Amino acid sequence: MRRSLAVLCGVVGALGVAAFVVRDTLVLDLLFSLLLFAVLGQSWNWISGYAGQISFSHAIFYGCGAYAAALATDAWHISPWLAFPIGALAAAALALAIGFPTLALRGHYFSIATIAIGALVDVFVRNSHWLGGANGFELPIATGFASLQFVDKTPYVLIALALFALTQWLTIALEHSKLGYYLRALRANHAAAASVGIVERRWKLIAFCGSAALASAAGVLYAQYTLYVDPGTIALSTSIDIALIGVVGGLGTIWGPPVGALIYVVLSKFVALELGGSGKGYDLVIYGLLIVVIATLQPRGIAGSIVDALRRRRARESAA
Amino acid sequence: MEQTLTVFAQLLVAGVLTGLLFALVAVGLTLVYGVMDVVNFAHGEFLMLAMYASAGLSLLGLQPLLGLPVVAAALFLFGLVVYRLVIGRLLQGPSEATIFGTFGLLVLMQGLAQALFTSDYRSARHLPFQGTVHAGGIAVSQASLVEALGALVLTGLLFAFVEYTETGRALRALAEDRVAATLMGINVGRMNALAFGLGSACVGAAGALLMLSYPVYPTVGAEFALTAFIVVALGGFGKIQGALVGALIVGLLEVFGGFYLAPQFKMVPVYVAFLVIVLVRPQGLMGRR
Repeated sequence: MRRSLAVLCGVVGALGVAAFVVRDTLVLDLLFSLLLFAVLGQSWNWISGYAGQISFSHAIFYGCGAYAAALATDAWHISPWLAFPIGALAAAALALAIGFPTLALRGHYFSIATIAIGALVDVFVRNSHWLGGANGFELPIATGFASLQFVDKTPYVLIALALFALTQWLTIALEHSKLGYYLRALRANHAAAASVGIVERRWKLIAFCGSAALASAAGVLYAQYTLYVDPGTIALSTSIDIALIGVVGGLGTIWGPPVGALIYVVLSKFVALELGGSGKGYDLVIYGLLIVVIATLQPRGIAGSIVDALRRRRARESAA
Repeated sequence: MEQTLTVFAQLLVAGVLTGLLFALVAVGLTLVYGVMDVVNFAHGEFLMLAMYASAGLSLLGLQPLLGLPVVAAALFLFGLVVYRLVIGRLLQGPSEATIFGTFGLLVLMQGLAQALFTSDYRSARHLPFQGTVHAGGIAVSQASLVEALGALVLTGLLFAFVEYTETGRALRALAEDRVAATLMGINVGRMNALAFGLGSACVGAAGALLMLSYPVYPTVGAEFALTAFIVVALGGFGKIQGALVGALIVGLLEVFGGFYLAPQFKMVPVYVAFLVIVLVRPQGLMGRR
């Protein structure tokens, strides 16, 4: 645990310095996206990696935060900082309502149920006038710390960095907590875990609610950064992107989602710059190939494989 | 009164036809699931590929119905290759590997379609069956009649193959008890490959038939795939006759929901029915535990 925390401090420190030194808005924009997607991927990793319930509707929790920010500024006229607790509560409540019945489902049953739930939420949002319907919201412009809007990109990067640090720290704590051990036991053998008194639904629900609240925080930040929220935020395609980041990096690892986010952000930008515009599918081809190769050859993902290799080397050294 | 009856009859017919269309897309999925316990999350993208193949053949002058055998055969071969390269290997790994491995195929195939064909909607050329049939105040498009007929023939053929042939028996044995089937000398790898090829051929035939009335675009699969998953889950994973029943329920729910609620809510009863069934009776309506 101490080693993981030291690595985290190093990474966060380096990124913090970078945020102050770098003045290039393109790089700052990349940095912000990287941190945001790392948080999203990690929050997905809680339910789908650690708890082993592969979800294809994580974007709805991201949407809780984004819509909370939009409503706070556009309808309720309160500080968008309050959208963090409001969005987190809404996301956790939604996760509770969804998870209570569905977390009893395993494997593809759960995955397909999440797609259907995502589609239901999509229909609901598109047809709810108070949520902006199909058009969504354009957030009113009001710069300043209290209104969580900045002309410069550096403050955004720093807030995203703080959220990222919190997420990673919570994940490290999760790995070493009772919850983390229970989830691992349930993943390895749910019948054996149940026989020693681990109540599957309770612990998975806790992980699901935490995961939803973290995704919502990323949603608030996203809304304040782009000043635009529409049903695309919660669409299946967003959920697929989040899952893609989690899978590429490695399920159930601390550094998997940040690695996945790094690959995602760099590749998207590279494809957009070199191959002429996104939306032409080249980036999807590369991710798809990556996922298929990882799934067939290295099911533990990139970070997972590195962890395994390190463990093997350490075992060899201690044996020698 | 008479008018409400006509409307009801019209909705009933439309619901059944829509349902048969869904059955057409879902039978391949359920066959693969029954034999090897794999849900192919790229199923919709296989459909998309078949639709592009069918549209391409129509450019060469082969209309979708005549191109159907070619597309089905091509998808059979494609399925064999995908099984050898990807699915077979995924089966060796942990159980989540099949979920995100086939999910990777989905992303890859969508990306390829976008890169090669752009996001434009494309329709087949030389389309037959463009008229409408009228009978007793009910109007039905010829294309949807042909598609429904195709669904019945395809489901019937697949059912007969699985029930009455020696190979079909081997497939059923695998579905029932993998270990016992292996001990009886059934080659698991070859049977899995065959099932995956057949499932792909079914979705190939479905794609060709769909081109009679639908355009194709890179994300067309997503539209049909969720419905196909729901159909398969409703009917009971792995049951071919279950897929037919599940599809009819989904078709009727969608058409009646769209008419009596509002068009934008037409899928809501479908999703709700699916969630209720999957929670209350996870083995589906026709499945056994």
